[in-house]
Amino acid sequence: MAATATTLPKGGFNFDLCARNEMLANKGVKLPKTTKTGTTIVGCLYKDGLVLGADTRATSGPIVADKNCEKIHYLAPNMYCCGAGTAADTEFTTNLIASKLELHSLATGRQARVTTAMTMLKQMLFRYQGNIGAALVLGGFDVNGPHLYTIYPHGSTDKLPFVTMGSGSLAAMSVFESRWKNGLDREQAVELVKDAIEAGIFNDLGSGSNVDVCVITKDNVEYLRNYRKPNERQPKLQSYKFERGTTTALTSDFRKFVDVVEGDAMDMS
Amino acid sequence: MEYNGGAIIAMKGKGCVAIAADRRFGIQALTLGTDFQKVFSATDKIYFGLAGLATDVQTLLSNRIPSPTPPFEFTSSRPIQSFFLKTKADICSEKFRMKVDMYHLREEREISPKTFAHMVSSTLYEKRFGGYFVFPTVAGLDANNEPYICNMDGIGCITTPNDFVVSGTAENQLYGMCESLWEPNLEPEDLFETISQALLNGVDRDAISGWGGIVHVITPEGVITRTLKGRMD
Amino acid sequence: MLDFLDNPATLAGANRDPDGDMHAADFDPVGMAPTEFAHPTFSVPAIADPVAFLKHQTGVDAKNRIKIQHGTTTLAFKFNHGVIVAVDSRATGGSYIASQTVKKVIEINPYLLGTMAGGAADCSYWERELGRRCRIYELNNKERISVAAASKLLANMVYAYKGMGLSMGTMVTGWDKTGPQLYYVDSDGQRLKSDLFSVGSGSTYAYGVLDAGYKPDLTPEEAIDLGRRAIVHATFRDAYSGGYVSVYHVKENGWEFISRTDVNDLIYQYQAEEKPSLV
Repeated sequence: MAATATTLPKGGFNFDLCARNEMLANKGVKLPKTTKTGTTIVGCLYKDGLVLGADTRATSGPIVADKNCEKIHYLAPNMYCCGAGTAADTEFTTNLIASKLELHSLATGRQARVTTAMTMLKQMLFRYQGNIGAALVLGGFDVNGPHLYTIYPHGSTDKLPFVTMGSGSLAAMSVFESRWKNGLDREQAVELVKDAIEAGIFNDLGSGSNVDVCVITKDNVEYLRNYRKPNERQPKLQSYKFERGTTTALTSDFRKFVDVVEGDAMDMS
Repeated sequence: MEYNGGAIIAMKGKGCVAIAADRRFGIQALTLGTDFQKVFSATDKIYFGLAGLATDVQTLLSNRIPSPTPPFEFTSSRPIQSFFLKTKADICSEKFRMKVDMYHLREEREISPKTFAHMVSSTLYEKRFGGYFVFPTVAGLDANNEPYICNMDGIGCITTPNDFVVSGTAENQLYGMCESLWEPNLEPEDLFETISQALLNGVDRDAISGWGGIVHVITPEGVITRTLKGRMD
Repeated sequence: MLDFLDNPATLAGANRDPDGDMHAADFDPVGMAPTEFAHPTFSVPAIADPVAFLKHQTGVDAKNRIKIQHGTTTLAFKFNHGVIVAVDSRATGGSYIASQTVKKVIEINPYLLGTMAGGAADCSYWERELGRRCRIYELNNKERISVAAASKLLANMVYAYKGMGLSMGTMVTGWDKTGPQLYYVDSDGQRLKSDLFSVGSGSTYAYGVLDAGYKPDLTPEEAIDLGRRAIVHATFRDAYSGGYVSVYHVKENGWEFISRTDVNDLIYQYQAEEKPSLV
């Protein structure tokens, strides 16, 4: 799109800069690194529904980019989706599907089913051949009861009673494998999910900070943001506050906001 | 990012936000200019910085010409004329300015910092598979004067911490500076000292950032803009 | 690797150490060098073509190339009152500034100075080795080594390791029987003699200032100021140069350390000065 065009793009990906970027890469310009969620995300079924869980660390290479990000994304009133992988991809993919589901339920006049969401996600991810780096744990409750899926970046899916994803998936799965059983109650299931996420937080370097939990039942969703905070930072005992005037300023401007009262300013004579 | 270099920080304070950037324009080792603008205003109370490839910075930037007549009052340590001349000269091709203006016309209201950030984010994600080499940072006050800061990677993944964000080639150094210097509830003048010291000392350990700095502190009353004296090597 | 540190005997000319490794000395281009002038014996791969073998570490586009500090501005020039040497003090690893207080003038002995550009370890090691050899020369011959001979010793030493990853661009300067002398020696084996050199990533900027102000009949004060300005302006333009500017003056009775100044102070000082008109 030319910079002079007055219409906004309609949506969809734009590949205009690909050729330029290839040229830059050949010239030795390094490609930018993206924020990843080297993540632990899990979900498990229980007696009355299902529980989703996630850690809250986002990384950029070896740097912790966000210490308390949100990885449990809203899809529909009865559906949530945990995302691992390229952070921007999980964010935009879930947002896109959430919007499609909303339109879908408005068109059909009924609540969207989890399998519909799962199919939309897998078809989109398959179409992009794994180039959209989203690894998802999808959970929801619809007319057919609770459903839990994992969706891989290439578009394959699993439907299982307990699932884990992300770099901390092995640590979390060890907790599920040893302690999950049929017919857990709500309290046990939340405890199990918390322990699975904490296994990821403490044993996987890509995961960290806090535990987010989301409990989905027949008519209710409970989003427990920062359900546990096992890594709270100690407040500093002393301050590094600088005395005012420490920094040498070469110029200093102040642009003061002024309220403009509308209605009587214009002279129409 | 290593092609041009650069460093940007944004910090939250008590009822205010600050955004700071270095002023170098260079191509790899060669420093070509020391008054390059990397921080722009989207609205009166939203400023944003673009670290990364300079050509993309200028393609995307948005800059409102500060009106020389009310609704603003200026107090400047410089002759007032130089302020306007300088700012007008900075107007270039600008994708974000168009989008902000379109929002303004369609919605008949000012864009909020959060909405602006999502607009920037979508603009970047549109080019997911061949993007701009920029790492935006947004700092602003919303309609209720609540502080908002965030930054993004090159494809629009937003992070919104409640303390500070950093980006650029001096990122690692700035993380270290901010983690140690930042504290909650800093008043505008204290926030200015903290963000300035974090920037100046951070870029002193980066070869391709520095050559002076600029800080904007956005408060409900107005915007304090100061250029900093920094090392010129 | 540095087994000669444990067993100094290997330094003194033994071509093979007890475990039979081959050493660069085996490729001694001079042939039968006197014991004390034998090349220091680094272990090199015991194969027919060590240079080719080391390509994956020493090649410019090698993936796991050993990172060496590269950015620098150094200069030296002869004039009627001796030689002025001026250097910056920044060390970088990629864009990270590892140090702002590196000493890039190596005081080989009271009459010889070397400068450092390229690999810091390579420069300091080989110029220390050069100092040892110059001292032995003095003891053998009851007179100081000429700068020409000293710089050639250095050039021959590093030439023996050509292609194996050494990185140094150095100026050797001093005052001998024939007067003030200035040589450029690098790890490719190049050895040049001239009145004026600048080496490093900021050298082009330094040359600009130097060429504008250089003439042989500068006073010592003018010459020192010129050298210092050249370095300062180079640190402004070159991202990989900076820190402090050190100036040395080589005179008939040996070198003299002149000054060490923060370049930032000088940049602001020079900016405040009135500029001569361009016409």
